Amino acid sequence: MGKYLLRRILQMIPVVLGTTLLVYALVFALPGDPVKAMFGDKPINAAVAAQIRAEYNLDKPFIIQYLLFLKNALTLNFGNTFSGQPVIDEIGQAFPVTIKLALMAFVFEAIFGVIFGIISGLKKGKWYDSVILIVSLLLISVPTFVTGFLAQYFIGVKWRLLPVTAGSDPGFLDLLMPAMVLGSVSMAYIIRLTRSEVSSNIAEDYVRTARAKGMSNGSVIMRHVLRNSLIPVVTYLGQDLGALMSGAMISETIFNVHGIGFLTYQSILKGESNMVVSIVTLLTLIFVVCNLAVDMLYAALDPRIRYA
Amino acid sequence: MKKKGLALAAVVCSAAMLLSACGGSGSSSSSSSNGGKNVISLFDTEPQNPLIPGNTNETGGGMVLRGLFSQLVRFDNKGNPVNDQAQSIKPNADGTQYTIKLKSGLKFSDGTPIKAENFTKAWSYVANAKNAQKCSSFFSTIKGYDDLQKADGLKGDEQLSGLKVVDDTTFTVDLKSPDATFPIKVGYSGFAPLPASFYKDTKAFGNAPVGNGPYKFDSWKHNTEIKVVKNPNYKGDDKPQNDGVTFKIYTKMDAAYADVQAGNLDALNSVPQADLKTFQKDSSLQAYNKPGSSIQQFTIPANLAHFQAGTEEGTLRRQAISMSIDRKGIVNKVLNGIGEPAHEFTAPVIPGYSATLKGNENLSYNPSKAKELWQKADAISKDTDQLTIAYNSDGDAKPVFDAIVNSINNALGSQVAATNPMPTFQEFRDAISNRKVKGAFRSGWMPDYPSAENYLVQNFASSAADGQGSNDGDYKNPKFDAIMDQAYAAKSVDEANKLYQQGQEILLNDLPAIPLYYRANDGVAAKGVKGFAIDWQTYPTFVQMHK
Repeated sequence: MGKYLLRRILQMIPVVLGTTLLVYALVFALPGDPVKAMFGDKPINAAVAAQIRAEYNLDKPFIIQYLLFLKNALTLNFGNTFSGQPVIDEIGQAFPVTIKLALMAFVFEAIFGVIFGIISGLKKGKWYDSVILIVSLLLISVPTFVTGFLAQYFIGVKWRLLPVTAGSDPGFLDLLMPAMVLGSVSMAYIIRLTRSEVSSNIAEDYVRTARAKGMSNGSVIMRHVLRNSLIPVVTYLGQDLGALMSGAMISETIFNVHGIGFLTYQSILKGESNMVVSIVTLLTLIFVVCNLAVDMLYAALDPRIRYA
Repeated sequence: MKKKGLALAAVVCSAAMLLSACGGSGSSSSSSSNGGKNVISLFDTEPQNPLIPGNTNETGGGMVLRGLFSQLVRFDNKGNPVNDQAQSIKPNADGTQYTIKLKSGLKFSDGTPIKAENFTKAWSYVANAKNAQKCSSFFSTIKGYDDLQKADGLKGDEQLSGLKVVDDTTFTVDLKSPDATFPIKVGYSGFAPLPASFYKDTKAFGNAPVGNGPYKFDSWKHNTEIKVVKNPNYKGDDKPQNDGVTFKIYTKMDAAYADVQAGNLDALNSVPQADLKTFQKDSSLQAYNKPGSSIQQFTIPANLAHFQAGTEEGTLRRQAISMSIDRKGIVNKVLNGIGEPAHEFTAPVIPGYSATLKGNENLSYNPSKAKELWQKADAISKDTDQLTIAYNSDGDAKPVFDAIVNSINNALGSQVAATNPMPTFQEFRDAISNRKVKGAFRSGWMPDYPSAENYLVQNFASSAADGQGSNDGDYKNPKFDAIMDQAYAAKSVDEANKLYQQGQEILLNDLPAIPLYYRANDGVAAKGVKGFAIDWQTYPTFVQMHK
């Protein structure tokens, strides 16, 4: 187990190096010149532009820029934004907000997804099964920004039930609507996943055996059906926590949540490679760690799986 | 299990409802805790630079600086300059030297007095290339500017030789050549004075500036909001009607629009594309829609084959293209009437604007005349190339340029023009400044200060061509340049404006760029907010706003 964990952690190093290089190259390859763009359509003072380029190493060849970035990153210095703020500070401010939002969305989709999935899986063909299926199909097929705008208009502007946007220092209620919108698509997937797993497991031999042995309906479902049905759901949820953080961009812009997605969007527009690469590296790390956690959870859920 | 499951679902649902019910009251309590009743909240974008006037050339930071700093002059709602920090700005006989007297008793928000030196040092700092300030080129007409442009040999504290302090409240400015617009230019935000504390730690200052404007800096939570409060040391006439302003940072206007509808935000100084059709009928907010100061046009480079500026064929073709565009139809149908067809090269809110200049019939829709001119040009030399018009497709230019191309092709022939979209503004500007665009390209102008000079000289004078300014089409006409020089030497702003109109008549004939329309100043404010308007800079008039 310990050895396995160590190996997995060592594997992260090439993954992180690879992504930073790739992302740095992509931002570098973006057409246009961020320094020229700073002047908009106003006259560019060549001397000033040269000074700015030198300050941000933009006058150096790509590979030197990348190595300089790596060298500084090792000492936890991720550089400054064009407005002179340390990248690490801006991420430090935005990240907790996104974590809050992603966790809320995660809890929302896990609880509602599993509950509705079980209800619908246990009673296939009932009217509420059909309703759940149709609603989940709708959530999957309608893009998040449509769900987001509709929720914002009706729940926020028209009925005034929840805050329209999150604004600064968002609390639980400020983030509730963005979290529900963010988690809605995954929730629909989880409903469908749980439903099909539950309904197929319920017909398994071991369930029949358990019932034949005289176990109560409740413990058959809890111990045998659910435990086996949840393995794919947990896999999905684990992957999704990472995806929720990076996928928060759309709901963060709709609801003006000042998180990582918001920051990434602004930084890409301004061509701030330091910021974009730092954020992507962080997200990569989260993805890798989440996957590791999922793999560990398998062992807990399925005694047949053991790590050496 | 069946019952249990349903019961659990019911409990969770009712909990969610309870929470959402709390949400209603929660949001209203948070909006009142916004600090006092008379604090105005505004849409803004994260400043792209530290909050230093000389280093800010975009609206995100510019809007905040409008409240934090006052210049020698400010502009009234009609765009005319009035003295603010200055007691008087007097030129010498030939307009090459200005003597500036400050009002007495002026103070920065930290209580330190404002002296002539605070202006001269600040201007030199911005002009000095070593300090990499984005507004540096605004000082290029002052003597000594060229000496401060070789960054390698400079320390950053060298002064402009053209600025001389006479006494605590007086200084003189020597210009390279006469400039009648200088007293207007000094109203631009880059000309603000800076306190001594700025030079000790410019970085700290950029995060928490000390200014001399109607407001005092309070706090800046990056990417979230900037707060300013009334400046007790401000003694000028630009007195705030509220206790403070909160600039809320958004990336998308749509979110801000929804906030205004719900009463969570007091004003948004633009209207998202999706709401242009409905915002004036929306009863949940107050709408604003008046002619603005920004002009949209497209530039045809002066040396483009068959369109060479100043040649008979080129002029005929330029006029034909211009007359084949149905500006009114485009404004009404594509822009939902939010705008005004262009009649000249400045804008309706700029002093000296005229809708009756000689030659402006070249800007009105006349497809039959256009066809006739085009055929005349064809008789000189047959044009087989298509005229492409480039624009950046990350804004909302696409529908407009599609309509323009359709209008041209309907009038002149199906293959005359085509659009050339480029994915991002960055890429688009890069191609233009490297002169890589083959064909015409979208160009717009938003003035830095309300003067015809800022539109005409920056966009069309030879001195601004070849990368020296914003004359990206490299139009060069000595006759036009001569009139601009005369206007610089004019004795009064009125006299200068007459000359600018003469200059425009040349442009209306040569059409170095094809003026299209003036984007309206449109915006929305929450109900119950008083004094809301949008000024010539497209900022909300937040100093006058109150609840």
